[in-house]
Amino acid sequence: MEKIIDFCKHAFLKIKNKNVNEFEIYGSSAAHNEIEIYEEDIENLSFADTKGLGFRVFKDKRMGYAYTSNLSDSAIDSCIEKAIENSKVTNQEEFNYLPVKKEFMHKDTDFDRNVLYAPEFIDFTIEDKIKVSKELELSVKKRDKRIKGISNLIYEDTVSETVILNSLGLEDSYKASAAFLYISVISREGEDVSTGDYFGYERTPQKLNSDDIAENAVKRSTSLLGAKKVKSQVADLMLSPMVAIQFLGIIASVIMADSVQKGKSLLAGRIGEKIFSQNFNIVDDGTLPDGLASRPFDGEGVPKGRTSVFEKGVLKTYLHNSYSARKDKRLSTGNASRASYKSPPDIGISNFYLEPSDVNEGKILQKISNGFYVIDVIGLHSGVNPISGQISIGAKGIWIENGNLTYPVKEVTIATDLLRFCKNLAEVGSDLKFMPAGGYIGSPSMHIRDIAISGS
Amino acid sequence: MLEQKLIKKILNILLSSGGDFSEVFIQKRNLNNMRLDDGKIENSTSGFELGCGLRLINKDSTFYAYVDSIDTESLLNAAKILSSAVDSSSKNKVLDLSENKGGYKANVEQFPSDIAQENKKSLLDSANEKARDFSKYIIQVSANLSDADDTVIIANSNGLLINDSSVKVFLAVNVIAKKGNEIRTGYKSLARTMGYEIFKSKNHEAVALEAAGIAIKMLDAVNAPAGSLPVVIGPAFGGVIFHEACGHGLEADAIIKDASVFKDKINKKIASNILTAVDDSTLRHHWGSYAFDDEGCPSQKNILIENGILKNYIFDYKSACKLKARQTGNGRRQSFRDLPVPRMSNTFIECGSDENEAIIKSVKTGIYAKEFAGGQVDTATGDFVFGISEGYLIKNGVISEPIKGATLIGNGPDILNRIEAIGKDLDFAPGFCGKAGQSITNEVGQPTILIDKITVGGTEV
Repeated sequence: MEKIIDFCKHAFLKIKNKNVNEFEIYGSSAAHNEIEIYEEDIENLSFADTKGLGFRVFKDKRMGYAYTSNLSDSAIDSCIEKAIENSKVTNQEEFNYLPVKKEFMHKDTDFDRNVLYAPEFIDFTIEDKIKVSKELELSVKKRDKRIKGISNLIYEDTVSETVILNSLGLEDSYKASAAFLYISVISREGEDVSTGDYFGYERTPQKLNSDDIAENAVKRSTSLLGAKKVKSQVADLMLSPMVAIQFLGIIASVIMADSVQKGKSLLAGRIGEKIFSQNFNIVDDGTLPDGLASRPFDGEGVPKGRTSVFEKGVLKTYLHNSYSARKDKRLSTGNASRASYKSPPDIGISNFYLEPSDVNEGKILQKISNGFYVIDVIGLHSGVNPISGQISIGAKGIWIENGNLTYPVKEVTIATDLLRFCKNLAEVGSDLKFMPAGGYIGSPSMHIRDIAISGS
Repeated sequence: MLEQKLIKKILNILLSSGGDFSEVFIQKRNLNNMRLDDGKIENSTSGFELGCGLRLINKDSTFYAYVDSIDTESLLNAAKILSSAVDSSSKNKVLDLSENKGGYKANVEQFPSDIAQENKKSLLDSANEKARDFSKYIIQVSANLSDADDTVIIANSNGLLINDSSVKVFLAVNVIAKKGNEIRTGYKSLARTMGYEIFKSKNHEAVALEAAGIAIKMLDAVNAPAGSLPVVIGPAFGGVIFHEACGHGLEADAIIKDASVFKDKINKKIASNILTAVDDSTLRHHWGSYAFDDEGCPSQKNILIENGILKNYIFDYKSACKLKARQTGNGRRQSFRDLPVPRMSNTFIECGSDENEAIIKSVKTGIYAKEFAGGQVDTATGDFVFGISEGYLIKNGVISEPIKGATLIGNGPDILNRIEAIGKDLDFAPGFCGKAGQSITNEVGQPTILIDKITVGGTEV
């Protein structure tokens, strides 16, 4: 009994005879490789094969959950017992049951699940992985003599298999692959130190573009050498895609239906309202062929699809799992998400992006007479309160004068609140870029008017 | 969980193609998490984890594998695969294992497994009621109660053998208040390395009331100022400033990679004369405490800065070998799935000689920062931020209106020299610290301190 599906089926037979109304088994297995390189040598090389099962049981409209990474017979038995025990203490609610087909918003998607796994993945050996990582280090160092060190160079890849089984007869699975390469470089000039990082993320390591990663990391680091504070003022911001993505991540957190239902979202009760002053479209698409967060089904087996969240700046829907959808008398958008088999389905984004315009970002920048081109931000988890909407984070980048990039700036903050951010978002570029950030978030460059910058 | 003979066999296989050091880390962890949200127990989850991490060090390279089991065959197999990654002439033998039974032992009175789920539920229910009764403006309460019961065996080729266990309990309460269109939040947690007797030291209802109090006070918050100002940082969670401004930069992996502004600064003055700071993993029952670190090194008290002079860095085994220094008991990992790296435990600023009230009185126009939402640092540049979640304006030496959340931004070496006063009210606050993709338990601490000037990220320009 090797494969995760076999463990799931074995556990299915065990739980079938228990005194519960409904149940679901979510299993995953993964082969994971990680390599860190420092000074042309292997710093760390690790690999792992992991498996785990999560059990969700419903009894008298109460839900219980337990998981185990130990797949011995006795461990699975105690895990099932624990899930049942947990179901005795949670609240009884009419909406607690497994999803059924008539509740699906995206019923029959023609998503080709073969795109999730690149067969050439297995042709890339450990030696190849080490080689591509070492080449990245060399490529970075030879680009600019001010590059004095690497603080992190990480290669990671995973091949995973996800299985879901439930008492309504659902049995489905998919296999996915992904490879990630990241570097953070330190540049120095006199007393000045600056850091910059970049990454590549693909379905298979052959597609990683080390030249592109090297060039961007070096540029992000060296362009900020000699940065200084500016005086506090209100000015326009131009956010590079990497920064814009992080702001889009904040917007993602306020459109989750459970947050809305619990009064934790500023967008509660605002469906149909124009939240952005301009006609932006924001989409969650779990079936985007190139989307690294694409899946055939969500964390509770509901098919994924394309959900238009903002259309021409107007809020059209929240994102739902089956529980939140029942509560709002709507359909599940297929956004039940799980970090792993260790947690029951929550709500989360998949490929979540703001559609680009056809305006070149350089053209947008030219229109800014006095502003701040933000290359990197720091302190999002401590400086953003998605519930109150307050945002105050550290930023570095380059000052814009009369449409031109001038001197580098650091040790300043940018502060606003989320609704004002949406209102003041004036224009976006054509340079759509995606980044893994609690989902796979994509954004082009953003121009935002009149934001408070705090410095000296 | 595993026979000593088998452990030694694995250690030997790991070194069979060469290498300097091999290690076996076996862990069994039982976890429970109960969440109250929207007035009801929304979720109750339990987890069973059992697995083993194998490590092999050859010169500067570390090879690591882990398995979600302690099944003999998979362990031997993993050890063989790992050893094949090394091809070295330097053959080392595994020394005989001898168990170290010393170190700090924390007595657990009430194990998580002895507490009925029903009791946990009523605890969360009463926290919810207390918070909601506090004010009519409170619209939502979320509370989490979790516990972890951990057992580890650590053995390495130097002959070390450790059997250790620990119990941790964590309660967090989040309160949301709304008045008109303004929404504010309050957060408070209680977390200790002990069993459910934790609630004898502090009542869960008190935690809920504090969280509610913060949310309500913040309803009247005015816009925070923008610009450089004097800031008084309150005790306990205020210690996050030292954790970010300095602590991470003292972790020896950053020193080795020349990615820290504190490299080559030992025995040099790096901070204001009045500053003494410590990392101490032996503090009884504190959230960042342990008997042994995750490499089996006994916990200890490590003086980092004494009267402004840098005394020591924070080491794990590998970094201590590399820099020919003594291990400080700071090799920590999230679980058997992760490599140990140098991490802080309980890190705090020692008491000074200033009176707390006098510190506030000395500020004409500034900020009093009381509670925080965490922070972040770039150790290579020393630039750091931390977010205020409960703060007030100081006007003519008096704490006045509350301010909306704001981030403070500064540079570590600069800010350490701007600590102008240190009070006597040392206190601690628990939290989680993320580094290298691993989250671990961590405590910060300090008495009231005064920074003469730091950039406050408000909106009021």
